[in-house]
Amino acid sequence: MDEQYGSKLTHRLKWAYTLLLVATLMLPSCYVIYISFNEHGFGAAKYDFTFDWYKVIFTDKLLLNALGWTLRLAVLTTLIVVPFGLIAAKFYKTTRHKVLTVAVFLSPLFVPGDILGSALLVFFKNLSQMFEAFSDWLGNEWFYGWFDLGFFSALVGLIIYALPYVFIVILITMARYRDQQTEAARACGANAWQAFWHVEFPQIRAGIFSACAFTVILTFNEYIRTSLLKGGFDTFTSVLVSQMLNEGMSESSYAMSSLVTYIAVAVIGSIIVITLIRTESLEREARAKAQPAMAS
Amino acid sequence: MTLQPNVSAPGSDPMTSARDVAVEVIGLSKNYGAVRALASVDLKIAAGEYFVLLGPSGGGKTTLLRLLGGFIRPSAGTVLLHGHDVSALPPNRRPTSMVFQSYALFPHMSVARNVGYGLKLQNMPKAEAKDRIAAMLELVGLTGYDARMPHELSGGQQQRVQLARSLVLERDVLLLDEPLAALDAKLRKDMCLELKHIQEKVGITFVHVTHNQEEAMTVADRLAIIAEGELIEAGTARDVYERPIKRFTADFVGERAIFDGTVASAEKTGVQLDLGFGTIAVKAPAEASAGAKASVSIRSELLELLPAEGKAPAGFETLEATYRESVYLGLTISHVVSLPDGSEIAVRDIAGAGPAKLPEAGAPVRIGWKAEDASLHLS
Repeated sequence: MDEQYGSKLTHRLKWAYTLLLVATLMLPSCYVIYISFNEHGFGAAKYDFTFDWYKVIFTDKLLLNALGWTLRLAVLTTLIVVPFGLIAAKFYKTTRHKVLTVAVFLSPLFVPGDILGSALLVFFKNLSQMFEAFSDWLGNEWFYGWFDLGFFSALVGLIIYALPYVFIVILITMARYRDQQTEAARACGANAWQAFWHVEFPQIRAGIFSACAFTVILTFNEYIRTSLLKGGFDTFTSVLVSQMLNEGMSESSYAMSSLVTYIAVAVIGSIIVITLIRTESLEREARAKAQPAMAS
Repeated sequence: MTLQPNVSAPGSDPMTSARDVAVEVIGLSKNYGAVRALASVDLKIAAGEYFVLLGPSGGGKTTLLRLLGGFIRPSAGTVLLHGHDVSALPPNRRPTSMVFQSYALFPHMSVARNVGYGLKLQNMPKAEAKDRIAAMLELVGLTGYDARMPHELSGGQQQRVQLARSLVLERDVLLLDEPLAALDAKLRKDMCLELKHIQEKVGITFVHVTHNQEEAMTVADRLAIIAEGELIEAGTARDVYERPIKRFTADFVGERAIFDGTVASAEKTGVQLDLGFGTIAVKAPAEASAGAKASVSIRSELLELLPAEGKAPAGFETLEATYRESVYLGLTISHVVSLPDGSEIAVRDIAGAGPAKLPEAGAPVRIGWKAEDASLHLS
């Protein structure tokens, strides 16, 4: 700070602003965590610390069942959308029509969630009817229920929702990657997959893992599209929201929300900490070796 | 300007008929939509030859190199490597390896892993690969650097690692795409000679792309001038420098005074060229007919600055000019003179070897040259 020309007051104001912003974003979550440890629940005048509500989670079958469906959705969405996003980002780097490509892959971001959810709902209903009509025409019931609302339609909704984010996250990481390295690998005898796996993937790994974490968090976060498209099963978010609307949040709901927050913070925090430690360690190594290397 | 290729007919090239042909391209073209990057190039490169593709930026030389390496598909034509048609093969199935301009080392791999990457793909036993890597690092002067990461190396060292990574594969043809462009002038000079010596040691065919004439002259057994997507002219470095056939080559390689005019008369021993402000004779047998457009070029170091008055030395052609200025360039001094048509040319002297007293700016002078030092260009 001393060696720069900026004023100390401005510097302190910037820090104060940053801390205020983080506090504003995080305080509601912190409050939920605070309540989750209160034996008397939300709004009680008395506060007695307890882990009981976390124990109750594992007896609440509705919540556990919803969590199971959400995890299944999260895993499948991640497995499908991350490779899609990677292929889209690679396509973007090679195509001459970059503006069009970005517009296509980011377009779901510009459609409000309820509109997109409703559109998909109508789409799946019509598709289902068409296939049923086709089955009737064939004189059998082979195509009945193929496109009924359910896990598949919810999955499609989540894929469309998550793809733009995954595309952007991977593209940002890939921007630093130089395609000459892939060509160099090919010149060494690698086929296209080997060149990707040995040379490109290790350099964009951070982006891909971040995209995976991001997709899992988006899946937990998503309510509107999933509620419209899920059919008969419940997801964690839909249970939380319906509980809150119908009977208010239960104490175990607070504990469950807190648990999800811990997992999200742990995953994202680990990625950031590992990346920072790795970067610093590489820089330290480079500093140690660069001097003799340059001198020789 | 339409540029016509001027390469020897197949089979008649002394460089390629004496040895096996390592690289042959026939009618090779590459278009990007309506943009023509390379237009029907024919070329032969002998096995063990150090061949340079020289030309201005955007001329198509890198496109030709990438077509040889299989990094882009040709729009038309054939690529033969040691007689085998490889036009449809991807890079990993061609007997070529490549050194890139820069940034092509794998940053997450050590020097040894970079060099040994191709050997690993071949499933070579570890002990054998280790020996080969050590030998290659010794060849490029990087013994003891095997554990370093690419970001710990200087630009020159990184290019040496790239070279080792390509040579360790023992492929028949090594392609080098502006390998020295990112290096400073001194390092580039040193690396040029080193490249040449390494090529002589390993004995394989090197095809080297550059826009730097000095680099090309230093390493090339033969070179080809590529511009506007066409192969203009090919020959030894000395032939191309001293006796360029095309006007473009005369203008691009070295520093030459070029006079454009009309053939006044043509005989078996030479032609008379009317420049509009004077007539000059060129002792060069050429298939020129009176009235045809032609150009004459003379290397600037073969031009002499003569007094305006007095008799020219025997066998000299002269033109009237006006002295403008001199520029000291260290080894040489460049004298700038203007001709009656307003164009300016440079006359180059070794510093200290020219006239003791230079003419004043604006003073009338003459420039002269031996008639046999001039080259005639009909295209």
